[in-house]
Amino acid sequence: MISIKENDVFNAFHEIWDETDNSNAGPLQGITVAIKDNIVTKKGTTTCGSKMLDGYQSPFNATVIDRLEEAGAILVGKTNCDEFAMGSSTEHCAWGPVLNPWDTTRVPGGSSGGSAAAVAARLCRTALGSDTGGSIRQPAALCGIVGYKPTYGLVSRYGLVAFASSLDQIGTFSLHVEDAALLVETMSGFDTLDSTCREESAPKLTEHLHEPIEGLRIGVPAQYRGSQNDPDVDAAINGAIETFCSLGATIVEIDLPLTDVGISTYCVLAPAECSSNLARYDGIRYGHRTDKLCKDLYELYSESRAEGFGDEVKRRIMLGTYVLSSGYYDAYYNNALKTRRLICREYETAFKKCDVILGPTTPSPAFALGEKSDPLSMYLCDVYTANTNIAGICGISLPCGFSEVNGKPLPVGLHLQGAWYDDAKLLRAAQMFQTATDFHTKTPECVT
Amino acid sequence: MKTSLTSDEVRHVAKLSRLSLSDTEIERAKEDLSTIFEHISKLNAVDTEGVEPLDHPTELLNRSRDDSVGEALSQQQVLANAPATKDVYFDVPKVLGGDA
Repeated sequence: MISIKENDVFNAFHEIWDETDNSNAGPLQGITVAIKDNIVTKKGTTTCGSKMLDGYQSPFNATVIDRLEEAGAILVGKTNCDEFAMGSSTEHCAWGPVLNPWDTTRVPGGSSGGSAAAVAARLCRTALGSDTGGSIRQPAALCGIVGYKPTYGLVSRYGLVAFASSLDQIGTFSLHVEDAALLVETMSGFDTLDSTCREESAPKLTEHLHEPIEGLRIGVPAQYRGSQNDPDVDAAINGAIETFCSLGATIVEIDLPLTDVGISTYCVLAPAECSSNLARYDGIRYGHRTDKLCKDLYELYSESRAEGFGDEVKRRIMLGTYVLSSGYYDAYYNNALKTRRLICREYETAFKKCDVILGPTTPSPAFALGEKSDPLSMYLCDVYTANTNIAGICGISLPCGFSEVNGKPLPVGLHLQGAWYDDAKLLRAAQMFQTATDFHTKTPECVT
Repeated sequence: MKTSLTSDEVRHVAKLSRLSLSDTEIERAKEDLSTIFEHISKLNAVDTEGVEPLDHPTELLNRSRDDSVGEALSQQQVLANAPATKDVYFDVPKVLGGDA
């Protein structure tokens, strides 16, 4: 196996563990898995890419970590991410930006950029990430690999450091759909430690994975096509539609008009939950505490938090505090929750007409480091992915083409979304595409 | 819905958020937050009349468990990550007298 230490020129890892022996025999025996640094592990540290948690050592493992180890997986280390998983470029990590293996002047996407870069550069076979508005699928698209966000509640969130609890979901990065199915099948199933975890037993995702779906109906919303997309992205998506047609699928026109207000809704709900979740970082029980001599507790809290958090985290905490504050709660938070129900209804209607929904994962391929300097343009990277989390359905990004920019091929991602707990069908459709195409076999130049 | 914030509003929300910000940071936050609020105001166009709020995709009700003693972290584990401890306690500065 290649040495991660010698080959990680992308700053994908915050911590590389010496190859761990795992004598457990199981379905994941010998499979290497990198762990996003916002999933707690007893081994090493868990920092969430933040100075706030520099050196933090968790006294317990996340449920997914225990389940991976029991199944024989080899955990190789912790990957860099945008601070507390807030971002779409992995530039906003306290340990420096992560670089895209396809072009190191470009971002890998985010927030799980380290996990995506590690798998794309073949430093490890698979990786875990978390997806709150696109944080697995968007970096998977920009790095040319498979990124899978299961239905909300399928995989326990116990030990995933909370950002926006009603949107957060652990998922996977891999080169092949098979590995995504295998990993999530192994990690899912009821967990008494997560009160939002589904009570049913783990779904069988690998069993019929290679059986094509007869009469597959692919829903294509008009709202996913149009001038906001890079022409190369549209061309790759047209190619994907043709591929599915050649496999016997039927294309169904569907309507998702609320796609347009997805980011607006997300900009209220995610910061609201973030401001509440991140109130725990007070510099008392764990995390950064200021060295300044403080005159009272208020000053200790505000100085410690100001020093420990980066700009994007501060912005979201303030935004969330505002929309939840007295006098604004109804106009912002409650209204966004009503829109959330309408977004769910829109998907319910769509899934009566189709099995999966198809579109681009992102409007454009990987952008340059520093290119998106204003926060809103960064948020808009998630225009096609945020509603998946708002509704809690499942989604997957698959490599479906390339855009040639400055002589370098940049991957384009195909986004498929499936209905609530219809993950087995989503993955079968994804497998049909991967069996018929070879985009996932292409490697960046750095891989020899 | 608002499409911009004043410096005083940002100062107030920073205080509620327990974030100590400099005047420069307040001004920058004012600009950034105003841009975001302008985008959020797109929600004005959505007719939510009579729609019940959905605060969680699962709509699960509280899940309770038996009130029985289980595994717990040791005192040593609980204190291990604390920035300051004294004997078996978290060490904090004087808390009486100021704001909290």
